[in-house]
Amino acid sequence: MQFSLFEFLRTVCRNIDANHRANACALTVTEVEELRNIFALLLLGSFVGLPSPPSFLAVELLPHMQKELEILHKRAQDSNDMLAEMCGILGIG
Amino acid sequence: MKILFFTGKGGVGKSTLAAATAWQLSRKHRVLIVSLDPAHNLGDIFGVEIRQETRFADTLYLKEIDLKELSKAYLEREINVLSDTYKYLQVLNLDNYFSVLKYSPGIEEYALLSSIEETIRSESDYDYIVFDTPPTGLTLRFLALPQVTLTWIDRLVQIRRKILEKCYTIHRIRGPQSQGETLLSYDEKDDGILQKLLALESGYHSLKTVLKGDDCTIALVFNPDMLSLKESVRLVKGFEELGLPLRLLLHNKISPDNREAADRVENEMRSVSKVPLKRVAFLPDFQKDNGTELYNIREDLTPLF
Repeated sequence: MQFSLFEFLRTVCRNIDANHRANACALTVTEVEELRNIFALLLLGSFVGLPSPPSFLAVELLPHMQKELEILHKRAQDSNDMLAEMCGILGIG
Repeated sequence: MKILFFTGKGGVGKSTLAAATAWQLSRKHRVLIVSLDPAHNLGDIFGVEIRQETRFADTLYLKEIDLKELSKAYLEREINVLSDTYKYLQVLNLDNYFSVLKYSPGIEEYALLSSIEETIRSESDYDYIVFDTPPTGLTLRFLALPQVTLTWIDRLVQIRRKILEKCYTIHRIRGPQSQGETLLSYDEKDDGILQKLLALESGYHSLKTVLKGDDCTIALVFNPDMLSLKESVRLVKGFEELGLPLRLLLHNKISPDNREAADRVENEMRSVSKVPLKRVAFLPDFQKDNGTELYNIREDLTPLF
């Protein structure tokens, strides 16, 4: 494989760019996840004792909720250490 | 096409008056009478056995809706959608898990409501559709359903739009995704949940428009006794809160013996509702055995609709 300095520099630049972009929207990504979590909780809240919408609404939407359910699951797992989670998000420590 | 609902406490004569109205209207119009009451007695009143849509006269058709069947059909449809989406899970017996939904509150009302919607939508070649409804509680619950559901859908759509908005922001900042990352959908057209919510919303909205429209009439049947009065007053208030068009009060089973009570009950009703009121007499010999047909009453109800 031919070594190309130009190619190397380009990859470095691209990675720096991607990293900055990822940092820039990290908080928004978390926000979206939280929103999706809330959405799923609202819709399927009856399972954990929250007042829920007419249950057929949940049944109607359930087939499209795969991603939401994944997030719900992940949140439930992380929920025992939310402080660490928030510190991670805000870049503390 | 006009839609009539007959409501009231159990045993006041909803089904009989609905049948009588349908019979009288059918002299000049094409009429379909649908019984939504789980304890069907439309067949008994007309003296026929009703299966699906049964022809009684050239212009009068009868239909009884089986709630259990409907709930089952509805759930089966949903389970099919589920197993289509999660094809790889077909090895598991999904419908076993979902059968518990049969007992969840709301499914019956929903099945009832969707059957009303379907009847109104598909039976457009009738001039009148007469619905004989189940007793008070269930009737109020399913008539309130479009309103309740629309409120929920509205909130869920708001959250969903916010999610998509944020996904769009992420998409703009991040630029094109590298391979292996799941693409976040940010366009409203790509989002299955929002599309489904909007479809549901438009369905409920049109049903709400029909139920509150000029062509829909709710008739409240009551008797000259205190119990039926109390429940009727609750119904009148319920309809008022929901903004549903109560347009007629039918005072049924009046005889010379109870005229005094009837006057009292009527005064009370007048104080809560100002819609037209019609008295219907109680006939002691009003039984099928002696040759009289139950749906054939003396009063002419057609000018009221």
